Amino acid sequence: MNSEILIAKLFLKTAFKNKAVFILTLFIGLLLIYAAFSGWTNFKNQNEMKAKYQEQSRKDWLSNPDKHPHRMAHYGNFAFRSKAPLSVFDFGMESFFGNSIYLEAHKQNTTNFSEAGFSTGMLRFGEISIAMILQVLLPLLIFFLGFSSIASERENGTLKILLSQGLSWKQLILGKSYGLIGVVMTIFIPVMMAISILWITIQSNNITLEETLRLLLIILSYFVYLSIFCVIAVLISAISKTSKTALTSLIGLWLMLTIVLPRASQALGKAIYSTPSKVKFESDIDADVVKVGDSHNPDDPYFKSLKDSLLSVYKVDSVKKLPFNYGGFQMKEGEKISANIYQKHQKELWNIYDKQNSFSKILAFVNPYMAIKNLSMALSNTDFSSYTEFQEQAEAYRYHVSQEMNEFQMKYISNNAKSSAGKSNIIDKKHWEDLHDFQYKPSGIGKVFSNELISILAFLFWIGLLFFLIRLLSKNLKAI
Amino acid sequence: MITLILKNFLRSNSVKIGVLFLLLAGIISLFVGKQFIDKQKQSVAETAQYQQKHIADNVKNHKDEMGLLLYYLKFSLVNNTLPINALSIGQRDVNPSIQSVTIRGLEAQKYDADLNNLYNLLLGNIDFSFVLIFLFPLIIIAFTYNIISEEKESGTWKIVVIQSRSPFSFIFQLFSVRFLVVLLVLFVTLFIGCIFLEIPLDSAFLTYLLVSILYILFWFGVCFLVASLHKTSNFNAVILLSIWIFLIIILPASINNYLVNKYPTPEALETTLKQRKGYHEKWDTDKQPTVDKFYAHYPQFKKFKMPEGDFNWLWYYAMQQMGDDESAKQSKELREKLQKRNKLSANIAQFIPTLHLQIQLNEIAKSGLTNQLLFLDEVTHFHEKNRLYFYPKIFSEAPVNSENWEKFKVQTFTDKSSLSYMKILLPLMVFIGLFVGLGWVNFRRTI
Repeated sequence: MNSEILIAKLFLKTAFKNKAVFILTLFIGLLLIYAAFSGWTNFKNQNEMKAKYQEQSRKDWLSNPDKHPHRMAHYGNFAFRSKAPLSVFDFGMESFFGNSIYLEAHKQNTTNFSEAGFSTGMLRFGEISIAMILQVLLPLLIFFLGFSSIASERENGTLKILLSQGLSWKQLILGKSYGLIGVVMTIFIPVMMAISILWITIQSNNITLEETLRLLLIILSYFVYLSIFCVIAVLISAISKTSKTALTSLIGLWLMLTIVLPRASQALGKAIYSTPSKVKFESDIDADVVKVGDSHNPDDPYFKSLKDSLLSVYKVDSVKKLPFNYGGFQMKEGEKISANIYQKHQKELWNIYDKQNSFSKILAFVNPYMAIKNLSMALSNTDFSSYTEFQEQAEAYRYHVSQEMNEFQMKYISNNAKSSAGKSNIIDKKHWEDLHDFQYKPSGIGKVFSNELISILAFLFWIGLLFFLIRLLSKNLKAI
Repeated sequence: MITLILKNFLRSNSVKIGVLFLLLAGIISLFVGKQFIDKQKQSVAETAQYQQKHIADNVKNHKDEMGLLLYYLKFSLVNNTLPINALSIGQRDVNPSIQSVTIRGLEAQKYDADLNNLYNLLLGNIDFSFVLIFLFPLIIIAFTYNIISEEKESGTWKIVVIQSRSPFSFIFQLFSVRFLVVLLVLFVTLFIGCIFLEIPLDSAFLTYLLVSILYILFWFGVCFLVASLHKTSNFNAVILLSIWIFLIIILPASINNYLVNKYPTPEALETTLKQRKGYHEKWDTDKQPTVDKFYAHYPQFKKFKMPEGDFNWLWYYAMQQMGDDESAKQSKELREKLQKRNKLSANIAQFIPTLHLQIQLNEIAKSGLTNQLLFLDEVTHFHEKNRLYFYPKIFSEAPVNSENWEKFKVQTFTDKSSLSYMKILLPLMVFIGLFVGLGWVNFRRTI
């Protein structure tokens, strides 16, 4: 144990003496500050903006005078998506998410105004977030720091001396790895402290256990991720004849892991599983609705038979004599049918997406970058699942408001009303307050574990694999 | 001499792997492009088919009321996808290339998003522009980082300097050989692409080719300058990779963050709220002022008097129109904001070749924000045209079957904006001249 610590200390000492290391670290430090600053500015701007318009939307809703409930159902609501606190750390897919959905009766609107839709094409190069720096740039820094760790000892001939003095390969590899991890920690620890402070400021005294757990898991998973790269650097250095081969292999590896493989795996998924076009998706839903019952078609057979059965149950000869507003009832049925069909198709579409993404997810076993990318997004609430959750909750709210308005219509509107415009066909505006505003509630951390099981397993696999490789190589490596 | 250099260069295994890697990535990118174009074509075909059926069905269901029928009818406009789009997909995967609108309020429909797997968008496409911008430089770096340093490290450099008549022309030949090999890979890939993707050999394609060659030259210029510093192979590798990361990852991403924060788009949300209020509140106000405002906007429709009764279509469409009219200011501001973003990013990009290339390739392929904004303008025109066509028919209560509904086919918008060659090519030429010139001065001084 002692000699490992000794080697680690020596490694640290030489690394800190190196001017290039100092410059690179400083540069990454500055970049991290910029990332934190711009993430925070964006978080603040976006959330202030969303809150402002959400409030405005609510005010507009409440300012409606007495009117026909179905007019209110069409007046509709907006759901503006606010950013999760940890999105300051990892932007994830945020820029591709739509920011607002218009929620009205009969119709599931798209989530519009994503940042990507307004982008000039620059977004394709990525964004600078703290997570991105830790995921992409730090591994490269680790490779730059570690490529010569053992290879140069071999080139200088000091490796033979070290080993002949009784040091084992295992001690050497572990020692160098600890040293490298130590250097990385001089960046990692301050960054994580800064994040925690930023995170506490953002939460403004509402820190939940749940959010704390998320942060702690982020810290842990990034620690594991970076350590994996430290060990990889030392192992490649150990098997390379010269430091130049070690460097070029490590650079090649880095490019494959962070630039080429992620895109390639996703292209594969996309090529194998095709998604329907928007028009196909929508016309399929229309067709299914017509098959079951279209409340907007006056001759629809389903609603005709529904009407007949209603008339016989209530023993009346015209819908006008029913004890409730028939129009409201018809729309309530229609809404139920179309919402169910929509959800079924939406789920199917999301299933295709899951299949497309499965290659990138599984790739985590080959590529730790994918494991951290997916896990970090999930923990920061910036992954696709957080977005679908928002959309599902918005849809549930839309459905609730529409049906509530249909209920009002059934209860309060006379069956003799000819249109929604007459003064006799309106209800009191106090009802508008009965409906609370839309509020998005992120799901618990449990969902992260189930969604990202593959990423977590991949991390465990990598830890196991590296320990195995250290053991294996310790037995087989040669000093020359 | 040059043939010997070429033979020696091609003998190396790593060179063969590099060339194969580029070719393979290039060919994959062509497939990705083909898949994208095919999907676009399919969408357009499905839209055309759907529109026909949709109109026929609704005409059958609402055959008595023109106003009600037009409440439902959707008309689609397609943003034409050029074959060359396959080589630079750009923003076309994010933004819908088909927009379907009824003649009701436009602002509530104009920005409707496409269906997308966001993970695809996040990780990005492997289109040819990616291969060119990201991967070509890596191979160029791999081919040239040790061009002189290796000779020095193996001790052969002195022999070269003594034996060759002009060491500088020897260096020049070393670079030329590598340049020709990379250029050949580019030509082969684009030649296959031209046939496979049926890209016409027009000025757009030639510009694409030319700007690609300049980009490759730019990276050779960078490598040439670094080689002229006479450092070790390891140093060169690290410094060149750092330049690559700086130009491809750090700078573009930082500028993106900067632009997003500098030009946030609250106008988008403002527009959508305003149009909702502008339209809906008219249900609760007197009809006459709404209709008067409508007449003020369209004096030609004054001849249609508002019918009596609780509800009439003139009033209804006047209300819809008010949604657009009252949010027109915000909508215009949004457009101006996006225009500003677009302009600023193109201006900044002139100084960052990687960014410049991405933006200009998108311009050439009509797949950038410029095209998207033009398309949105065209959606507005298209919508207005339909309105003006149908308004008199609705207000005069023309019978539904007096219209030949067959003629309402899907329309196509073709972006005919011209390219500014100076703007596309000049920034790269300046950089090439600068780097090669500096490298040349350095070499003159040191050998």
